[in-house]
Amino acid sequence: MRVAKARRFVVSDHPLPWLLPLVAILLVFTVYPLIYNIWLSFHEFVPRRRALEFVGTENWVQLWNDTRFWQSLVITFTYFAIALVFELVLGMAIALLLDSDGFGLGFLRGVLTMTLVIPPAIVGMMYLLMEDPQFGVISYLLQSIGLLNPNNPILATASTALAGVLVAEIWQWTPFMVLIFLAGLRALPPEPYEAAMIDGASSFQIFRRITLPMMSKVIAIAVLVRGIDLFRVFDYVFVMTSGGPGASTYSLSLYAWQQTFSFVKWGYGATLSLVTLVIILVIANLFIRIAKVRW
Amino acid sequence: MNGSFSTRMLRTIAAWVVVAVFFFPIYYWTSVAFKHGNDIFNRPPKLIAFTPTFDNFQKVFGISLGSGGITVTPGGGNFYMAPRVWDSIVIATLSTVLAVAIATLAAYALSRMNFRGRHSFVGWVLSTRMMPPVAVAVPMFFIYKNFGLIDTYTGMVLIHALMNLPLAVLLMKSFFDDIPSEIDESAIVDGASRFMIFRRIVLPMAKGGIAATAVLCFIFSWTEFLFALTLTTTSVKTVPVVSSTFVTSIGTAWGNMAALGAASIIPAFIFILLVQKHLVRGLTMGSLKQ
Repeated sequence: MRVAKARRFVVSDHPLPWLLPLVAILLVFTVYPLIYNIWLSFHEFVPRRRALEFVGTENWVQLWNDTRFWQSLVITFTYFAIALVFELVLGMAIALLLDSDGFGLGFLRGVLTMTLVIPPAIVGMMYLLMEDPQFGVISYLLQSIGLLNPNNPILATASTALAGVLVAEIWQWTPFMVLIFLAGLRALPPEPYEAAMIDGASSFQIFRRITLPMMSKVIAIAVLVRGIDLFRVFDYVFVMTSGGPGASTYSLSLYAWQQTFSFVKWGYGATLSLVTLVIILVIANLFIRIAKVRW
Repeated sequence: MNGSFSTRMLRTIAAWVVVAVFFFPIYYWTSVAFKHGNDIFNRPPKLIAFTPTFDNFQKVFGISLGSGGITVTPGGGNFYMAPRVWDSIVIATLSTVLAVAIATLAAYALSRMNFRGRHSFVGWVLSTRMMPPVAVAVPMFFIYKNFGLIDTYTGMVLIHALMNLPLAVLLMKSFFDDIPSEIDESAIVDGASRFMIFRRIVLPMAKGGIAATAVLCFIFSWTEFLFALTLTTTSVKTVPVVSSTFVTSIGTAWGNMAALGAASIIPAFIFILLVQKHLVRGLTMGSLKQ
């Protein structure tokens, strides 16, 4: 009797049986870690006693006074902003260039897809070699045209290290923008363009007044999806610089990870990762509201 | 847009040049995989004129191309990486199956059933996509430690499935939304149960979408770094993680690393080309349709 009842429920129109596995795994793997993180942020591992001890708000006070934290916040935002601007502008420019019936467009699009399937950690290693001061091809090129002093290796000089990492980032993810924008451009209706042609508008005017407004939804979604990942940057800085030289490439994620796993500051690491989470959630949800992105 | 023949010609050339610039690092990396040590460390860098060698692939995969055809010599050597490739394949495949299975069920409900809080539920799923991996990895490390899941397939499969769930749910929902719900309704009138409709009608119609979702899940698991770095130690390791361990105290084994990297790109690239039709939709989590 009970089995039959359960059976009827499972095949009924109620959404619960359908959603249950998803809800279960999301609760275990996101809500529980969140609660654990909050709990951990009020504790700290004491190596002397090999145990976690309650420390009250000590971690949060430390966070507020930690210049390293504020520095990594600035670095993360800088990385986020520079990468996003470059990827958007380059992505749009290349998409406009490829949006024609020129020879081999499909092939070129396929080639651009290639960067998306390489693990970012391996891309980081690729650029580590290419930016090597002695035998790296990028360093060699920049040195031979006099843009780079051979005594200042790109990734070991505080002023250029972040740029060195950003090159890898922008190389890998500009094609992501190109593919999205290209699909957006191809879906635009032809009528406004025909009207503008008749009115004799310049191509810049057409782009500014027709293409950009009609692409705003596509751009908003691209910014959201890429922006979330940019703010969590870890792989590139981990393999290319480990945050150095000094602290010039410390991203928030890397700082939180190192505090936990390299310096055994479990409570402080949890505090830092919580802050990273809150910042992303707030910014992303604000953006979704303002840009009216819908799923 | 139209234009004279010469401007079109110029555009085409410019497009090829730009894409060539983007392709160059991949070419360079692949060339490193076929180079001897002294060719890698040459200055100026050798781009074309070098003597190709299969040594790197031989060391990494234990496969040699001798005069007697292909011979396989597994095991041995610090850089023998075939088991690590196997780890990556197992984790990516199983986590993809798990994520897609859970996601198609949930996505069907989110696409077809009207219930209170459906929109906030979708919002919640989306917001889990925003969690920084580090905020999940830190607590998961301690939890995994208690349950003995560190360094196991089970642990990695679970965490990668979780990581891909938001994408898979939203993406599958967008594919289900494309299938007219009248089909479901007429089947209900005919007396079919929800699950029968799902299995017999909707799933077969969404085959292409499921394939696209699976490919993206596979690739994101294949390329993931932070979880694999944090939650494994010695017996299970994925390709991105071992790649970063080629940096040794006596120098970096660039050639071997490049061989592993170049070989690991090929399967992922073939997969992604197979679902190119749905790629943009996948990259934007189902919100943009091509």
